[in-house]
Amino acid sequence: MGLALIVGLLGLLILFHAAYSTIQYRGLLKITEEEFSGPPFDVVIELFLGLLLCFWAALTAPGKFLSIHPHSEDNRIVSLPANLDFMIFNHRGKAFPVEMDLKLRQ
Amino acid sequence: MVTKTEETQLNRLENQVDNGGGGAWEYLCLVRKLKVRRSEKVLKHGLSILNDLKQRSSLGSDEWTLYEQVAVAAMDCQCLDVAKDCTKVLRKRFLESKRVGRLEAMLLEAKGSWELAEKAYTSLLEDNPLDQAIHKRRVAMAKAQGNISVAIDWLNKYLETFMADHEAWRELAEIYVSLQMYKQAAFCYEELILTQPTVPLFHLAYADVLYTLGGLENLQTAKKYYSSTIDLTGGKNTRALFGICLCTSAITQLTKGKSKEDKEGSQLQSLAAKVLEKDYKQRAPDKLPQLTTALKSLTLSS
Repeated sequence: MGLALIVGLLGLLILFHAAYSTIQYRGLLKITEEEFSGPPFDVVIELFLGLLLCFWAALTAPGKFLSIHPHSEDNRIVSLPANLDFMIFNHRGKAFPVEMDLKLRQ
Repeated sequence: MVTKTEETQLNRLENQVDNGGGGAWEYLCLVRKLKVRRSEKVLKHGLSILNDLKQRSSLGSDEWTLYEQVAVAAMDCQCLDVAKDCTKVLRKRFLESKRVGRLEAMLLEAKGSWELAEKAYTSLLEDNPLDQAIHKRRVAMAKAQGNISVAIDWLNKYLETFMADHEAWRELAEIYVSLQMYKQAAFCYEELILTQPTVPLFHLAYADVLYTLGGLENLQTAKKYYSSTIDLTGGKNTRALFGICLCTSAITQLTKGKSKEDKEGSQLQSLAAKVLEKDYKQRAPDKLPQLTTALKSLTLSS
């Protein structure tokens, strides 16, 4: 968790640095009066690095992935709920009363 | 629906609570969430929380939910005194509540005074004719008295208004199965599969009904639904695996005279048998010989 957070922050920093460098580069181009066609190669590399780090952090930091397959061990339905709305009290449990003397104390 | 993880969690909590390890409130919440019927345990542990003033007051407003849960559990265990006390406490707190009115009528039901309960439900329905829970209680009451045909009538009438209620469809299907009216039960299960296509147990029940009905066409459909159950459970459902084997041998028996060779069917059967053998070897090695003889007789009879 901690590691992922640090890596994510690092990735964000790198992204910000890339943005800053691009702005600086454009400023430079304005002085030399050249056309802007794209950021320089090292900035592109930096961008990809930041993206990768952010990706990794975003996928690890929030927690584990849960399965969405209906047949996976987590989602496999093994029994239906008892149909409690239609529950009847007229069953053989009547013949076996609970032996404890349960009482609700006020 | 109760999934595998929830089931293991429930069993773990139940063990823990039974051995005095605490966590009674979590257990009761889980029981409520999963809608399982563990009345005796709910009664015992719920009462111990309710009788402990400190624990009870720490629940806040959940206290009243617990009173209701314990009251119903007490009715199920025929501890009518406890149920009565709980309803009284709830009535004192919620003077005008319909929900408590339903609880009181259920108490009458548990006592066996059907006419009084019927009267109470009728008056509750006059106030609110669209109360689903009360309609369902009336069906259950008819069933408890043994008037199955009345229960079926009421359920059908109820389902005309509330068609999306899958619990009612399931109840109707189970009643029909208990009366051996398989065609009607099959219709109900079709409805259930339509509303909840990812629940393998409905596929399984539908396949069971079709297999019981018999006939070549029904058997073939049953096999398909057993296969879809296997698909949805990842091959962990033993009943569906047995169903495949039984269906295939029944189909080959029916089509014996004809030259049509169903290659795919026998392949499916041998696969299912293999999985069954593997499963038995892992979980119940001492029953393996019985299984192999049963499977052998199925393939020999074809």
